[in-house]
Amino acid sequence: MKKYALFLGCTVPVRAQHYELSARNTAKQLDIEFVDMNGASCCGFPIKAVDAETALLIAARNISIASKMGLNIVTLCNSCTAMLSDAQLELKNNRFYKKFKELGFTYPQEITVKHFVRMLYEDIGVEKLKKSVKVPLNNLKVISHYGCHYMRPSYLYGFDNPEVPHTFDELVNLTGAKSLQYTDKKMCCGGSVLGIDEGLAVTMANHKLNIAESNEADALISICPFCTVMYEDNQRKAEEKFNKQYNLPVLYYPQLLGLSFGLDKNAVGIRFNRVRPNLLLEKIGGQ
Amino acid sequence: MINLKNADPTFKWEIAKQEGGKQILKCFGCSDCAASCPVRYFDERYNPRKIIRLTLLGMKDQVLSSPFLWFCAHCHACTEHCPQGIPVAELINAIKNYAVENGYCPEGYKIQVELLQKMGRLYEVEDFDLKKRQKIGLPPVDKTIPEVAKILEKTGILNKVGK
Ligand code: SF4
Ligand code: SF4
Repeated sequence: MKKYALFLGCTVPVRAQHYELSARNTAKQLDIEFVDMNGASCCGFPIKAVDAETALLIAARNISIASKMGLNIVTLCNSCTAMLSDAQLELKNNRFYKKFKELGFTYPQEITVKHFVRMLYEDIGVEKLKKSVKVPLNNLKVISHYGCHYMRPSYLYGFDNPEVPHTFDELVNLTGAKSLQYTDKKMCCGGSVLGIDEGLAVTMANHKLNIAESNEADALISICPFCTVMYEDNQRKAEEKFNKQYNLPVLYYPQLLGLSFGLDKNAVGIRFNRVRPNLLLEKIGGQ
Repeated sequence: MINLKNADPTFKWEIAKQEGGKQILKCFGCSDCAASCPVRYFDERYNPRKIIRLTLLGMKDQVLSSPFLWFCAHCHACTEHCPQGIPVAELINAIKNYAVENGYCPEGYKIQVELLQKMGRLYEVEDFDLKKRQKIGLPPVDKTIPEVAKILEKTGILNKVGK
């Protein structure tokens, strides 16, 4: 059994319970144990633009919690992954250690930080995952959206290919669904500029919604709650602004994976998806 | 037109001292960052190369007061392409940090700092959320994490954003 400290961050536990639920339930199928991190806070990323050092200290405190538990961290959000990875590297290099210690934090044991999807790819592996697929989702064509902080910056992650990423496509394909190749795969969802200029953020999100439409995708598969906010919660806004009708379901990867494992739609929290994926469920012979 | 009469030649050194700003002097202005920038792709008013260039020239007031500085999505597309190996997204972030120190903090960020001070998280965990979590079999989460406020006090960030 593999054991990890599960870092939830701010958004997932209150706004993306279906992401959390499906991640926990698919992990169970794979003999992965998630241990909850008592006292974990925001990762720090939201205020990095205000003061990077403060953000690093907030992230480092979270790492300190997992380090004391003696467990590596698994995250569900791309931005959390970036912020915690950044702090983990700095802790390793003994930077800002003075303030870290003065605050009473410790780092007794070096730990790693991985996004849930990277953990599946590296620690479980495509072949083993494939063995758990009971209901291949053969009729589905989907757009896989990596999001920025999954493999970028490469100096931080050293994982996948930042120019031609492929790991997530492989993970989607093993479910039986077809992960489409399309232009601008690396495109940013616009989430980070939402608070600064909503029009621009929605324009950025619209770009990929438009690509999904022209490729006749059944869904967009997301691995980050912020990307989902842009593609699902703000889909209406994009439709209004660009006079379109997308009605594109946005599923979190563990929801897709869970369905291919034969999990019931409640076990992957389908009813919490804001764009109803009814057609998609029909296509895979679901309820 | 850029009028260099008001240029502050020390500005670039100030940025170089910031977290993430160290490598600014390596920029030779090739514009690869701008060419790879998705924000720039949709909105010409934002241009990372221009911000870096103006910083190197010492156009402090112009850079710090620019609303477009905040358009950077921190997506790191530029970082991957810079032939000089500059982590451009971190560099732009360093300029944002410096802008905050000099009194230019967007309102939205001030609110986020306040929320973190109050709760240690961005979104309030209401009883409704806890009930919903329980109902679908998810474990409870902490409503507040007061230790975060201690970090904010230690770094003096609350004073910086004028709270
Ligand atoms: S890509 Fe690098 S060297 Fe070229 S303009 Fe941008 S920051 Fe400067
Ligand atoms: S990090 Fe900022 S400057 Fe760099 S490509 Fe992304 S949006 Fe553009």
